[in-house]
Amino acid sequence: MRHHTLPVSPATVHWGYFSKAVAPALTLRSGDRATIETLTHHAGDDYERMIAGDPGAESVFRWTAEHKAVARRGAGPTEGPFLRGSGEGLGVHLLTGPVAIEGAEPGDILEVRILDVRPRPSCSACHAGRCFGSNAAASWGFHFGDHVEEPKGREVITIFELDTAGEPFARAVYNYVWTPQTDPDGILHPTIDYPGVVVDHAKVRERHGILKDVRVPARLHFGTMGLAPSESDFVSSIPPSYTGGNIDDWRIGKGARMYYPVAVDGAFFSVGDPHAAQGDSELGGTAIETSLTGDFEFVLHKKRDLGGTALEGLTHPMLETDDRWSVYGFTFPNYLAELGPDAQTAVASHASLDKAMRDAFRKLRRFLMTVHGLSEDEAIALLSVAADFGVTQVVDANWGVHGSIRKSVFTCTGA
Amino acid sequence: MNVRRFTSESYPDGERRAAWRGVLAALGLSADAPSAGWGSHATAILRGTGEGITVGRLVAERQILSPMVRPAAVPFVGVPLILIPLDEGANLDVGGERRPVRAGQIALLPRHGGAPVPIFDGGRTLVLSAGDEAFRGRRIGTASKILPRVMAAEGLAGVLAGSLASAAEALDALSDPEWEAVAAGLAELLLALLRGSAAAADESAGATSAATAGQAALLHRVHQSIERRLDDPDFTPGRAAEALGISERYLHRLFEGTGDSFAHTVRERRLLRSRLDLSNPAEAHQTVSEIAFRCGFTDAAHFSRAFRDRFGLSPRAFRQGEIERTKEAASPGVQRGWPQDSAVQTRVRRPETRRGPSAPQVPAIDAGTAPRHHHLAVAADRVHWGFFSRALKPVLEVASGDTITVETLSQHASDDPALMIAGDPGAEEVFRWTRDGKAVDRRGAGPLDASVYGRGAGEGFGVHICTGPIAVRGAEPGDVLEVRILDMAPRPSRAPGVAGRVFGSSAAAWWGYHYGELLSEPKPREVVTIYEIDVGAEQPHARALHSFRWTPQTDPSGVVHRTYDYPGVPVDPGSVVRRHGVLDGIRVPLRPHFGVIGVAPRENDLVDSVPPSYFGGNLDNWRLGKGASVFLPVSVPGALLSIGDPHAAQGDGELSGTAIECSMTGTIAVVLHKRAELDGRPFAGLTYPLIETPTDWVLTGFSHPNYLAEFGAKGQSAVYATSSLDLAMKDAFRKARRFLMQAGGLDEDEAVALISAAVDFGVTQVVDGNWGVHAILSKRLLPSPRVPIEPERHERCGFT
Repeated sequence: MRHHTLPVSPATVHWGYFSKAVAPALTLRSGDRATIETLTHHAGDDYERMIAGDPGAESVFRWTAEHKAVARRGAGPTEGPFLRGSGEGLGVHLLTGPVAIEGAEPGDILEVRILDVRPRPSCSACHAGRCFGSNAAASWGFHFGDHVEEPKGREVITIFELDTAGEPFARAVYNYVWTPQTDPDGILHPTIDYPGVVVDHAKVRERHGILKDVRVPARLHFGTMGLAPSESDFVSSIPPSYTGGNIDDWRIGKGARMYYPVAVDGAFFSVGDPHAAQGDSELGGTAIETSLTGDFEFVLHKKRDLGGTALEGLTHPMLETDDRWSVYGFTFPNYLAELGPDAQTAVASHASLDKAMRDAFRKLRRFLMTVHGLSEDEAIALLSVAADFGVTQVVDANWGVHGSIRKSVFTCTGA
Repeated sequence: MNVRRFTSESYPDGERRAAWRGVLAALGLSADAPSAGWGSHATAILRGTGEGITVGRLVAERQILSPMVRPAAVPFVGVPLILIPLDEGANLDVGGERRPVRAGQIALLPRHGGAPVPIFDGGRTLVLSAGDEAFRGRRIGTASKILPRVMAAEGLAGVLAGSLASAAEALDALSDPEWEAVAAGLAELLLALLRGSAAAADESAGATSAATAGQAALLHRVHQSIERRLDDPDFTPGRAAEALGISERYLHRLFEGTGDSFAHTVRERRLLRSRLDLSNPAEAHQTVSEIAFRCGFTDAAHFSRAFRDRFGLSPRAFRQGEIERTKEAASPGVQRGWPQDSAVQTRVRRPETRRGPSAPQVPAIDAGTAPRHHHLAVAADRVHWGFFSRALKPVLEVASGDTITVETLSQHASDDPALMIAGDPGAEEVFRWTRDGKAVDRRGAGPLDASVYGRGAGEGFGVHICTGPIAVRGAEPGDVLEVRILDMAPRPSRAPGVAGRVFGSSAAAWWGYHYGELLSEPKPREVVTIYEIDVGAEQPHARALHSFRWTPQTDPSGVVHRTYDYPGVPVDPGSVVRRHGVLDGIRVPLRPHFGVIGVAPRENDLVDSVPPSYFGGNLDNWRLGKGASVFLPVSVPGALLSIGDPHAAQGDGELSGTAIECSMTGTIAVVLHKRAELDGRPFAGLTYPLIETPTDWVLTGFSHPNYLAEFGAKGQSAVYATSSLDLAMKDAFRKARRFLMQAGGLDEDEAVALISAAVDFGVTQVVDGNWGVHAILSKRLLPSPRVPIEPERHERCGFT
């Protein structure tokens, strides 16, 4: 077992997409561990608190009229003229990686264990050592179009501070309504339509004293973790799919084990979209987006060894925690295959919890039948009385419903 | 609805290929030598008609498809298959010659068996398959000469391609009659296209009698005018020719070219139209003669003969068969409750006075006295079965602050009467049902004379045995009633040999979420699992004793229940086969709770107990157990509280249709919050059931927050037809936002940020007609200003 370190830098991140075509930032073997830094793509919402003085963050977010350290942001076109910028923001998450796993081949399963998760403290002079995050109630939120207060159609950024002294929690510092922002290339962003645009605080009005006395229990986790799909070279990081990605389940934190089907040689694991807290549904469009560092362990399960294990027949991401198994249902289990060449744009217009529920049911039924050897009737009886279905997210184009079953149901040894 | 959905996700690796072949076979296709990579992902949606027309949308990796060819011995008209690739890169291979098929173009694959067999390879594909019965009696001309070909999406081929694409998109959105119409339209287009194609084939073969493209177009117009004039008995060849501006002789020649005749075609179309109308439930009010006249037949006896000659049975017999078929196939699984097209539901009903002179005395309480404790045992006159009603007389009146021990029975106790009813006087009385009648006759909100389906009084439109109603003194519309669950204990069996043990039942029933897509045979099936509950264990749990498949049960009144369609039908143990050893080694952790807690709705006298709504009812949220409270908006004077549907355990979703249903006794405290005193309370202005647990607020969202008001008179049927988690999620979000803004004093932006970061949304149930999504707000988020009113604790109610 070797322990690797993967800090953030323009050379170790890719922004807004998964890709089998990007050179690996790190190559390791099954059983190895790695400490991986991740940055939130919302750090530009408060540059002073979340970027200034932090060499890694500064290097990735660097963007002047002359130089943009990470030019491509999204799976969209990289040849101008641009509507929003290179990559066109078709995919938004800053992902660290890819991490290639030696010997991984399609058909294998990659297990990723999260050993620890830590927030990334601010380095700026006034806030050094404190940890901050940003929540955007954005145009892609479930609430959007349904505002009850004026002005309707607004996007709101709320900056949170994470307090880790005791039982960790987040409290709001201030919020502001998004105003049109001009990026260093001169493109105007009337809405939050491109990641990494640093907000000019002279153009927004900070409201302090909000969410007074409200403490949001911390749930440190990675919103986006997954492997490169085989279908395209550049795949938007927004819709989750069969190789994982932007699942946005807050249970994918310390102690979690995630299992992903390998779709390309080397697996090409990437991680990002770190969150300090999120509710089931991620309703407003984002969590409390906070840069985090994680310790990971990677275990490759070869295809030939899967029979008779919990991974037999697995074709989708699955979570194991100390007390439960969760499978992830999506509106489209594999939207890239189902929707054809326009999948990456078409997926957004078909969002549906009803289809995601259907998918979660099928996946959990299959799990109970294949892995636990139950008949269909037994599986359905158990699903009704012991499995819980919840809303994972309604904001990532390919909506999610997770189905969970407690491990205690199966452990029947002793009294 | 005869929609078939397929996804490879449902099958383990080894079975996917065979399952996929089954899908292809339904479209008349076979897959040869699938590439090695196959098996990662495939989905399909198919829909067929009784006339043999099937439309499918296949999503899979590239694969090789060819038509299934019938053995040459079977005479076969051989309508070619239409395949339309959705992506670029597909090919049609005929005898080694490869032709590219662009996205949206039509590949025509004849299946008359003439070599060479055309081979199609492509990924996502639309398929139109018409069996030979679809056109029986209508000749395509020399179909056997049609060659495999690729047709550009222009002209008629373009219209067909476009129609097929939009039909495929809407497959699961169309009602049966709508779908029949769409499929018939597609068949017409296909027929016209094939006629043109056959003509072209004839031409290229140098046939002299071939119709030209112009003739084909003219023929198409003739067919259109026939369709328009099917009801006109005087539509003669002469008038048809006149309408088209051609001579009658030329008209006949047009038909000669197709090997058909005008008279035959008209008659065939009339018969097919009448057949369609006879099978359409929406036409059920028309007599057979009326339908015959409408289809251009002037003599009912003649029609009857013609119909029998053509279809092998009389119109009346055919229609009866169709009714049986739709009853069996369509009504279960489509919806519970009132059928939407039932005429009976508008019948005016008098409020019932079901309580006889033996009605229990309602204890009168003087205002201002100390809280009292009441005991409400189950008895035939203290329960109402399957409905809520503002018209029921209360069985008990209590004052705010009083505590009540409420016995409740599971309506599923009859799944194993020997374990769950025998020897228990209360249960025996409520379930009593002999040839002479039932102790509780009405079960459900349907008609007492069972005039919709004939299942039994109330028709089972609503199934839960509810104890109550309990009137709360001084409760008025606008108040909020808080029901606290102080304790819950299961009701032990009193049956000989098993007395003292606790049993429950869970039915995977036709209203379950899984029912339409079972994997293993026989399909469909209903399965009942009997559990034993161990409350004394360190970790209280349930384990399965045995299960059985539902078999038709004859109730004591002589009605046969082919499915689980009426509550309280005693299962005859001799009629079912018990499977032991099911769920071996599995222990289901207990979550005792009441599925149903509700007050009487204001809208109707009889409301189906299945769909939950603003008044509470069948909430099916396992968080509503010991230590939790539910706040309900009072809608009628006295509130009229009812409790039932006790559950020992349930998962979020209640997927199969039921929980572990187990009779239980609860101790509750009832607290009335008067409207004038609500200001500043978290439940001020409450318009929905709000659950409070020691740690959380749980807000209940529904597809339709108040379906009775939303759909009006049709509410009790419409709610089942429009269940959706998407709607329920919207509702739960709006309630959560409102709660945080009102009870938490936040502005909208604060509320949305907090919901995103800290509120958990979960699936409550997808089986109760009005589907549920709940929002869980941790009390840690907001320091609650609530001042608890502690009622006197009541000692744990025990049973001997």
